[in-house]
Amino acid sequence: MLIRTEALTKTYELGAAQVQALRGVTLAIDDGEYVAVMGPSGSGKSTLMHVLGCLDTPTSGRYLLHDREVGGLTGPALARVRNKEIGFVFQNFNLLPRIDVVANVSLPLLYRGSVTRAERRRRAIEVLETLRLSHRLGHRPNELSGGERQRAAIARALVSDPSILLADEPTGNLDSKTGREIMDVLDALSAGGKTVVIVTHDAGVASHARRVLQFEDGVVAREDRR
Amino acid sequence: MNLFESFSAGVQDMAANRARAVITTVGIVLGVASVVTVLSLMHGGQAQTVAFFEELGGLRELRITDSRSDRVVMTAAERASERLTYRDAQAILEECPSVLTVDPEIVRYLQVTWGDRTFRMKVLGTNAHYPYADDMPVATGRFITDIDCETHANVVVMGPTYREDLFGAADPIGKKISIEGIPFTVVGLMEKKEFYFRGGGGPGDRNVLEWFNRSHYIPITTMIKRFTVSDRLGGLEIAARTVEDVPRLEREVRTLLRRRHGVEDFEIDSKREGVEQQAQQQQFFNIVFWAVAFVSLFVGGVVIANIMLSSITERVREIGVRKALGASARDVFVHFLVEAVAVTSVGGAVGLVVGFGMTAAVDKLLGMPTALAPSIPLIAFLTSLAVGLVFGVFPALRAARLDPVEALRYE
Repeated sequence: MLIRTEALTKTYELGAAQVQALRGVTLAIDDGEYVAVMGPSGSGKSTLMHVLGCLDTPTSGRYLLHDREVGGLTGPALARVRNKEIGFVFQNFNLLPRIDVVANVSLPLLYRGSVTRAERRRRAIEVLETLRLSHRLGHRPNELSGGERQRAAIARALVSDPSILLADEPTGNLDSKTGREIMDVLDALSAGGKTVVIVTHDAGVASHARRVLQFEDGVVAREDRR
Repeated sequence: MNLFESFSAGVQDMAANRARAVITTVGIVLGVASVVTVLSLMHGGQAQTVAFFEELGGLRELRITDSRSDRVVMTAAERASERLTYRDAQAILEECPSVLTVDPEIVRYLQVTWGDRTFRMKVLGTNAHYPYADDMPVATGRFITDIDCETHANVVVMGPTYREDLFGAADPIGKKISIEGIPFTVVGLMEKKEFYFRGGGGPGDRNVLEWFNRSHYIPITTMIKRFTVSDRLGGLEIAARTVEDVPRLEREVRTLLRRRHGVEDFEIDSKREGVEQQAQQQQFFNIVFWAVAFVSLFVGGVVIANIMLSSITERVREIGVRKALGASARDVFVHFLVEAVAVTSVGGAVGLVVGFGMTAAVDKLLGMPTALAPSIPLIAFLTSLAVGLVFGVFPALRAARLDPVEALRYE
């Protein structure tokens, strides 16, 4: 089992008020699954993604990644897990504006350490080629179209060969044609055996996944399999 | 992520935001430039002081003089003392182990006549160990010797200033002159001694060593025998065997003279004190200069910290992204600290060049002595490094502590 959570909760303190974003999430995701997490805004799906992506730690409950407890990890150990196991794709791409595409894509390898500059570059270019971006290597992100930016971001997520690709509204900032293009890329990755988890409120996007988790009020309300 | 990569990332960031980089570095440029100028002035001042005392004479010597009494009525012991005498000088030579030479001096203003010309001149009774003779060799002839002193010889060594007045172009060596009616043979002529604090030539820039050039020298024994009623000395210079022996010699002499005089009616000064005094005056200027340099560096550092903090606010999202991709807090800390150091290093390099310019300007316009020591670029570099480290730490900590979730959400 790749991911297993047991009674995950997350409580935020907003001033005096307490917000329960997750109220006991128990789920399991197997290696190679294609999963969509759906739900209205405020349902806790983003919080789940942050916890699954090791950006945030749960208030209580267990989170096992590769049968290893990671819910209690902090600081550098958590950063290492993010670096090795997780590939993030964001709604607004989050490419760094001042460096070129190759430098952006090779960033995760920079933080891995012990990967030489030449090797980082070589692997970044390799991934960019599979995503049909070889003509954009030396360009800055603002010189790219929206679809190219998201493909560059996906390349960055893939360059460290992570266990899970976590995509947060990957088509949210794109027109429908480009959005379909990006979904084709994710479909292809899933077909190639990569575990893909998409967080979205778009039913059309979710329909690409084999399994849809409906989120409501911090719990999984319904689960559909196709 | 190694240091070099962090550094080049920082430099790239600077290059991408030139206006910010210029404003950031102005403070550090001025700070380092002032440090460079201050150090050059300090080195210049010190070099001049040392040069002055080297010209004046070595540092092995002590000068013993009668001390002035503040009291109107002297004690019996004070009245009984003969004060500093030629016999004291002989005793020091015989009894103090650390002494190398003694040079007793008696000064009189005496009538010097050659042919039909007569002048009243400063005549110094001394011996072969006149300490300045080493630094101011005789131009022609010889200086007073031990034999001159033993035989009370009527010989004189002349200072260069009155040479023309007395002899015109003629060679004075071997000429007979009369001092207070007693015939003396001229055996030597001193070389001219010069020292100008502003390099010479300017108005008001006198030769501060001119008094040497106006003196004539005869054996001290001759001076005592012919021209004085007692062997009381005007001053006594003694030299220790080495510079390190100077403090010991001072103790030996103090003990000996206190026993001989029955009272401490003398003072012992070392040239070292003169150097120190000069250094103290220099110190005052140094403190002012340092204060200016420190304030500019501090302001430069605060500007850097401030601009870095605002740049971190601009780059919150970038920090979030870097963390999401696996950057640890340490990676982010090092990244921003190195950026700060990159900014200050470049500022330091520019500051060094500006500082050299300022030094040249100070030298030229104000006529103050400056010297560029090889340590100055090193100190400038270390200073800018230190400012970057000190003022980069706080912004870098702020960046490192950002929560990735909030940073990614930041608009």
